[in-house]
Amino acid sequence: MAAGSTDIEVFAGAPAAEPPRPRVLLVGSALASGAAAMVVLSLVAVYTHMRAEVIAGGERWLPEDLTVQLSPGNMGMVTLLMSAVTVAWAVYSLRNDDRVHAYLAFGLSILLGIAYIPTVAYGWQQMGVGITSSTQALLIFTITGLHVAMTGVGLAFLAVMGFRALGGQLTGRAAEGAYAAAVYWYVTVAVYGVVWYGITITK
Amino acid sequence: MTVTEAPRDVVDAPAGPAPSAPPTGLAAVVGSGDPRTIGRLFIGTSLLFLLMAGVLAILVGFERVDLSGFEVLDSDIVRQLFTLQSIAAVFLGVLPLLIGLATAVVPLQVGASTVAFPRASAAAYWTFLASGGVLLAAYALDGGPFGGDAEAVSLFVAAFIALLVALAVATVSVVTTVLTLRAPGMSLRRTPLFSWSIVVGGTVWLLTLPVLAAVLLLVYVDLQYGQQFLGGSDGVYDRIAWVFWQPTLYVVAVPALGIIADIVPVFARRRHHRHAVAMGLVGLFGALSFGAWAQIGFSVDGQSNPTDWLYDGVWIAVGFLAIVPVVGLLGLWAATLAGGRVRMGTPLILALFAGLLIGGGVAAGAVTVIEEVDVVTTTWASGQELLVVAGALVAAAAGLAFWAPKIYGKLLPDGPVRLGGTLLTLGAGVAALAYGVAGLYDQPRAIAASLDGVSEVDTVETLNLVAAVGLVVAVVGGLAIVAALAAPARRRTVADDPWGGHTLEWTTTSPPPVGNFAALPEVTSEAPLYDARYAAASAGPAERTEATA
Repeated sequence: MAAGSTDIEVFAGAPAAEPPRPRVLLVGSALASGAAAMVVLSLVAVYTHMRAEVIAGGERWLPEDLTVQLSPGNMGMVTLLMSAVTVAWAVYSLRNDDRVHAYLAFGLSILLGIAYIPTVAYGWQQMGVGITSSTQALLIFTITGLHVAMTGVGLAFLAVMGFRALGGQLTGRAAEGAYAAAVYWYVTVAVYGVVWYGITITK
Repeated sequence: MTVTEAPRDVVDAPAGPAPSAPPTGLAAVVGSGDPRTIGRLFIGTSLLFLLMAGVLAILVGFERVDLSGFEVLDSDIVRQLFTLQSIAAVFLGVLPLLIGLATAVVPLQVGASTVAFPRASAAAYWTFLASGGVLLAAYALDGGPFGGDAEAVSLFVAAFIALLVALAVATVSVVTTVLTLRAPGMSLRRTPLFSWSIVVGGTVWLLTLPVLAAVLLLVYVDLQYGQQFLGGSDGVYDRIAWVFWQPTLYVVAVPALGIIADIVPVFARRRHHRHAVAMGLVGLFGALSFGAWAQIGFSVDGQSNPTDWLYDGVWIAVGFLAIVPVVGLLGLWAATLAGGRVRMGTPLILALFAGLLIGGGVAAGAVTVIEEVDVVTTTWASGQELLVVAGALVAAAAGLAFWAPKIYGKLLPDGPVRLGGTLLTLGAGVAALAYGVAGLYDQPRAIAASLDGVSEVDTVETLNLVAAVGLVVAVVGGLAIVAALAAPARRRTVADDPWGGHTLEWTTTSPPPVGNFAALPEVTSEAPLYDARYAAASAGPAERTEATA
């Protein structure tokens, strides 16, 4: 520092701060999440539309031998809701550079995400029929299977961002990757909410 | 301190092999993440697919000349070709062509150094190429809709899904580029209209393509597990046909409107008349083109195909409302041209042709929704599809002629492009008109459908002949444009701004350097270069130099 100059004078001569980083990954993930959601939601729309037509015709929608039990669907919903909370916890911790909590939250989120998959598998087993038994079964297997695939992508995204955080690439000042993974995960949970309500609750 | 931490200026040349030279030839193409290279690949490949689609349309067209039977090809093959021509035209042709153009041009327009996800764009292109090839191979193996080989039909469906994923990924990349990588000062309001139309059209694609992919996935699962639901390969086309109907059909025209809107003011040598209104109209047209709700419904028994939206209030309203933005834009372009000093360059001529074709397609769509006319299942709808697709294609040709200095580093030869665009417009227009009139005589759209209701068979056959000849003319026009693209440059160098452009892409060299821009001018409006030129023209000699610089 030159003799006699103040801090303000020194900083006044410094180059301007870099403009805020464009949120490329976040916006791209949001667009991709919307597209992925449309895949599952459009099939739910097919399911509910067909169900409405059948019921309007005075017939029963689900065949006698097909059972959609509440417990697996409810467990799946609760598991995913808990995972949404832990993902929010991970993002919050990362933003505050609380790395220990961030690792813990990422780990828990992945664990809960993985735990959701057996609930779906259990639901399939409890249905008591195969995919070829009826159109309704085919639709339910396809919709829930697609959501499992969507969850798998979300888990991979969370794992990559978790490892990047572990490697020090994501910090409180540059946590965009975590935000992007979180957005995808929230959309995944929201889409399951629709699937759960459309198939498990209202059947 | 270790040796490796010594200051750079006291360290000799690094040990080990010298850094390898950048790849050239095929390696440079295959491994490239450069948006212009990827854009050129998309454009070149889609043009080849489009020519193939054109030839298929000609074959199908000549099959219709004699309605008593199938003369040229076997009836099953004709049904498959009928489906392939539409699928190839839209999903292997026009959509990837527009995506390629956007991948190459949008980063330049918004002042970005590259697209948002260059590797994803590259992966999307190679997936598009591979899935497009597999899709055609599946058809060759008797797959595709109405195919006889169950495994080949499943292969077709899987390839189609992969194709949709590729197009969606490439779309995410360009839309994200516009949303996040705009130059300082370029608000969304100041975004060039082509880039804006990509945001609008791309968003609608991202809402529509996944719906089609989901339906195809259902078809795939059904094909794999008993075919109890959708009727096997015969039911496949019913599931995807909605994409070729209004309103979804209009989705290919959204970026086309943006291309026209960027070309018109440059050749009128004035600002776009009411730029903000034009943005709103493009947005409205995009919103109206979301039509995933208007598809053939599913039934549990797989027998009935409910279409309860047909002649429903919403469908009718969308059919009529779609005219509003297109007519509004045509009016704005007329006002822009009327107030300017018009230079009739080839891009402008093709842009005007494209505007007329799209306008005709939308007007035909308004007639389609009138229940009393009852043409929705006739070749009237084929004519409408032809007008909209050809309109998008001619607009893309206009865009290629306009942005060729930036994409290819050369100006396209004027004569072949102008001739090609004119033939394409005339041929498609004549064919669409002939199909439209034949539709009024109740000629069914589906080629193998019953002809019981067709009145005036001789007249319809004559109209079909006219349509087939029109398609031949259109394909010849397309060939002329492809030849112009492939022709070597006449001059070694091309001016950085040969047209007197208004937007940022014209501030950089032709072709642009790596990173696109050495420096960007300040963006204070939707036409920063026009502003700079106007300031230079209105300033005194001393200021003029500064403004020009």
